[in-house]
Amino acid sequence: MTSKLKFLTKISLKRKINTKWFLIANIIFAVLIIGLLNIDTVINFFGGDFDETQIIYVKDNTNKTFDILNAQNDNYKNITNDDENAFKLEKTNQNYEEVFENKKNKEAWYLIINNDTNNYINVKLISEGYISTTSYAGLSTILNNTKTSIAMAESNIDPNELAKISSPLKIDRQILDETKKTEDENMQMIMSTVFPILILPFFALTIFLVQMVGAEINDEKTTRGMEIIISNVSPQTHLFSKVIASNLFVLFQVALLVIYAIIGFVIRNLISPATTNGFDINSFIKPLLESDFVSKFAYIIPFAIILMILTFIAYAILAGILASMTTNTEDFQQMQMPIVIISLIGYYLAMMAGLFEGSIFIKILSFIPFISAILAPSLLVLGQIGIIEVIIAIILLIITIWILLKYGMRIYKVGILNYSSKSLWKKMFKALKG
Amino acid sequence: MLKVENITKYYGNFLAVDNLSFEVKPGEIFGLLGVNGAGKTTTFRMIVGLLKPTSGNITLDGHEIDYNITDQIGFLTEERSLLTKMTVKEQAIYYGTLKGMNEKEILNKLDKLLKKFKVEEYKDKKIKELSKGNQQKIQFITAIINNPKLLILDEPFSGLDPFNVELFKNEIKEMADNGSIIIFSSHRMEHVELFCKKLVVLKNGKNILSGELKEIKHKYRKKNIKIIGDIDLEKIKQIDGVVSITKNNLEYQVKIEDESIVNKVFNVVKQGKNITKFNVEEPSLNEIFIWTVGETYDE
Repeated sequence: MTSKLKFLTKISLKRKINTKWFLIANIIFAVLIIGLLNIDTVINFFGGDFDETQIIYVKDNTNKTFDILNAQNDNYKNITNDDENAFKLEKTNQNYEEVFENKKNKEAWYLIINNDTNNYINVKLISEGYISTTSYAGLSTILNNTKTSIAMAESNIDPNELAKISSPLKIDRQILDETKKTEDENMQMIMSTVFPILILPFFALTIFLVQMVGAEINDEKTTRGMEIIISNVSPQTHLFSKVIASNLFVLFQVALLVIYAIIGFVIRNLISPATTNGFDINSFIKPLLESDFVSKFAYIIPFAIILMILTFIAYAILAGILASMTTNTEDFQQMQMPIVIISLIGYYLAMMAGLFEGSIFIKILSFIPFISAILAPSLLVLGQIGIIEVIIAIILLIITIWILLKYGMRIYKVGILNYSSKSLWKKMFKALKG
Repeated sequence: MLKVENITKYYGNFLAVDNLSFEVKPGEIFGLLGVNGAGKTTTFRMIVGLLKPTSGNITLDGHEIDYNITDQIGFLTEERSLLTKMTVKEQAIYYGTLKGMNEKEILNKLDKLLKKFKVEEYKDKKIKELSKGNQQKIQFITAIINNPKLLILDEPFSGLDPFNVELFKNEIKEMADNGSIIIFSSHRMEHVELFCKKLVVLKNGKNILSGELKEIKHKYRKKNIKIIGDIDLEKIKQIDGVVSITKNNLEYQVKIEDESIVNKVFNVVKQGKNITKFNVEEPSLNEIFIWTVGETYDE
C-alpha cells in the first residue's frame, strides 16, 4: 500500500507540474519577481527617472538665503531620515522658462526667493505638474525654519546662541516595558510594509493548493475514474496522496519563487552600478538589521513555517473532503468559496494587524486554525503576542487536523462514490451521520 | 471461486440488495441481469470492495475481498472510468500500477492488447481525443491488463460496432477458458445468451430468477411456435393458451402458455395449405427477461 501511496503522490504531482498553466504561471512569477527587484533599471530602461531626490532650482534674489536654506534642508534630511522626500537644491540665475526648457528638468521645481519687508522673505514655487502633499509639507517646514534662522540672525543674536537654537533637539527615549526596544519601532513600521509582501505568496499558494486538490478529486470523480482507483486503494490512501502531493507542490513552488528572487538579486548586482541610481536595497535592509530583526526572526521563522505547513495540510484535507462531495464543476466552484473567504479574511487581518494595537479580539483570532498561520506570526513580529500564544495556535491546528481526519474521512469515503444530485451540504451532513 | 452469500445492502432505509446469493467457478461466465436500479451496480461495488454489505459475505477463493486481493480483480464500469486528460499509455500505467504491476510488465501487456484490439496507433494519444468505441476498448484493456482472476464487466459492449463486439467476445471467452471468473451485465440479452451459462435476474434488489441458462429456458413454460404457410389465424387466436401471434415477412410466431398447447395449434395448422415450417422453439432470454420482470411488476 505504501508503494501505491508513493505512486499516487507521484502521479498527482506530475499531473500538476506537467501542465501548460504551471509553466505560464511560473514564467509570469519569474518575470514579476525579477522585474520588481530591478524595477529601477526597468524604469530607467524605458526612459524614466528613478532618482527619487527632487531637484529644486533656487533663484535667490536676496543673495543671503540659499546657504541657510541648504543647511535647513540637510537638517531636515537628518531628522526625517526620509530619502524619498528629500530635496536637492541647486542655485540658478536662469528664469523658470529657461530651466524648464531643458527636458531633463521637466520634473524639477523652481523656487524664487525675494526679500520681504514685513515677512523677511517671500517665496514662489513653480512646477510643471502636481506636487505631493508630503513633499509640499517637507519644503514648507524647511522654508519656515529658514525664515526663522534669518529672523534670528537679523536680531543680532550671538552666533553661538544661534547655533544652539538652530541645532535639532535629540530626544532621549526610555521604554518601561523591558521586552520592547525603541529600535523595534522602526521594525514595526517596516514590517507593516514588508509583511503583506511576505504573506501574499502564502495566500496565493493556499488558493493554488485548494485548487489542486479540489480539481483533481473533482476530475477523478466526474470521469468515474474514482471507482477504479478506490477499488484498488483505500480512500485514506487516496486522500493522503493528494494531501502529500499538494504540499510537495507548494514547497516546490516556494523553492521556485526563492530561486526567482535570487536570480533577481544577482541580476541587480550585475547591472546595478551602471544603470541604477537613487533606490538602494541596502537602505531597506539596513534598518531591519539595526532593529533586532534578525535575532527576532531566528525564532519567528521556525514557528511560522510549522504553522504554515500545518495550515497547508489542514486546507488540503478540507479541500479534499469538500471536493469528494462534488459531482460537477459548479459544485466544485461552490465548494471553493468558503475556503477562499476564510483565507482572504486571514490575509486582510494580518495586513491590518498593526491597527488593532494588541486588542483581545485580534489575539483570539490569531488562535483560529486556517487563519492563524498568517495572523499569529504577524502579531508575534509586532510584539502583540508571545511564543506561548503561537504554540497554542499550533496545538489548536493539530487538533483541527485530527478532527478533520476523524470526521472528514467519513464524508470522504461516502462522498467519492456518491453521485446524487442532492445539495452539497445535505449530502455532507448525511454522510457525517453515517 | 467467487462466493456471494446472503448479501443485503441498505442505503439508509432504502433496500438496494436483498439477501442475494450465487457462486461462480473459475472458467464460468455469469450474467447479472436486471432493469435500471435493480441493484446490479451496488452488487458489483460490493464484489470489488467499494461498498461493504450491510450483512452477508463475499469471498474470492475463500478470502474476504479487501485491498489485499483487489489486485486480482478487473473491473469495467458501465460509465467510462477513464481519466480523459491522460494518454492511453499513462492511463494503462496508472491503473496497472494500482493493480500492483510494474511499468515494464504494464507496457509489455499494453502493447500486446493494443495490437489485439487494433488500436496500437493510439498509445500516445489523449483519451479525450478517441472515439467512444475506442475509449471503450481502452477501458476494457485497462480492466484486463492484470490478467484478473475475477473480471467484472458492466455493459462491456456499450458504444461498440458489431465487429468490435466480436473482438470483445473472443477475448472474454479466451479469459474464461484460461480460468478467469467473469461476471457480466448487459441490457443486450442476445450477448448474455451467447456467453453466460448461469445467471441471476434482479428486481428491486431481489433475486427473481436464477440458475443455469439451459434449465431456465427449458423450465420456462412459455414457448414459441414458428410457422410458414397459409393458416387460419382466427382459429389459432381462439385456442386457449395462445398468448399472441406476430408476423415477420412470411413467418408467423405464435407464443403459447406451455407445451400442452402445441398439439392444439398443430391441429389447426395441419388444416392449412403450403405449410413449409412448424418449429417449436425455446423462448429467447430477452423474452424470458421481459416476461419475468413484467410478471413480477404485475404482482
